[in-house]
Amino acid sequence: MPIIKINNRDVHIQELNKEATETVLLIHGMFSNLSVYYFNIAPILAEHFHVVMYDLKSHGMSERTLHGYDLNSMTDDLYALMETLDLNTVHLAGYSFGGLIALKMALRFPEKLKKLAIIEAPDPSDEKARGIIDDYSREFLEHYVENFTDTTKVKMGKRQMERNHRMYEFLFYQTSIKNDMVAEKDFFSDSEITTINKETLLLYGSDSNCMETGKQLSKMIKSSELMPVPGDHNIPIQEPVLVGNMINTFFMN
Amino acid sequence: MDTVASTAKMNNDEIFDLMKQFITEVIGEEFVEEMDITPESSFTKDLEMDSIEIVSFSEKIKAHFGDQIDFTGWLSSMDLDQLINLNLGMIINYIHECQ
Repeated sequence: MPIIKINNRDVHIQELNKEATETVLLIHGMFSNLSVYYFNIAPILAEHFHVVMYDLKSHGMSERTLHGYDLNSMTDDLYALMETLDLNTVHLAGYSFGGLIALKMALRFPEKLKKLAIIEAPDPSDEKARGIIDDYSREFLEHYVENFTDTTKVKMGKRQMERNHRMYEFLFYQTSIKNDMVAEKDFFSDSEITTINKETLLLYGSDSNCMETGKQLSKMIKSSELMPVPGDHNIPIQEPVLVGNMINTFFMN
Repeated sequence: MDTVASTAKMNNDEIFDLMKQFITEVIGEEFVEEMDITPESSFTKDLEMDSIEIVSFSEKIKAHFGDQIDFTGWLSSMDLDQLINLNLGMIINYIHECQ
């Protein structure tokens, strides 16, 4: 299992097609991990690109940590990861919370990026999105798992439920993730977003609660294109091949 | 004629034991002890492996067999329903065929 040290912490990464000249870097969402890309989307991109996936802190198989879930810290981590892997510039794609990290990256380190693909990034001022964090409970988890995660089609067994329960308990009650997220609520209203000048693909589920955010971003980012994908917030799970192909075409042209 | 290849070739029982070892490494001995792992065991329902655990499992297969077996490629050709129904026997057969 490839583990590298980033800012003194263990980070789990996966790479495909290291020989390719251009690199695509993929960021997963909150409470998820790199497997959201590993099985379908990454192999499609790896036909032409060097693909790098990594698990965010306390997610997947990366080391747990108590602090630093704000977008500055998350992009510091990503910058350090690029330095460690000797990646000069990359095409960057991020899903959900990972989409917010990608947008922040474009603002802070534009020189490190080529094109940008944002999949279902939510508006951080949306109370409902943040409400998840306030209302956490075991019942909430069961409901959340049934409705919103990539395991919708599989009833979670006891071991998985315990495993997920432990992860949520850790993230919600022991780390700074709650406060760090609340502190980001003005990220979109901050006019800074309008200064992003990267060619940007916005992929949003046609039935997603986040579609309005996609429209909002397409107005704010000059050289962006919003493309609807059949499905809801879970489009990388619902339409992995379509999403993979759309990102691939966008990065290739 | 295939003497060299056949010495390295594993039979189904050997592949099964190796897969069991990988599963134990991924999900931990304490859980495996409670399970009766058979070729019929499904990955998601019986073994309760989630996607990041299947990533670990795939990596172990890659590390062991190298380029001989494109396990991730094989998995990615499946749709969600097929993945949910994936059982150990199917993996054993796939590895056996690739050898």
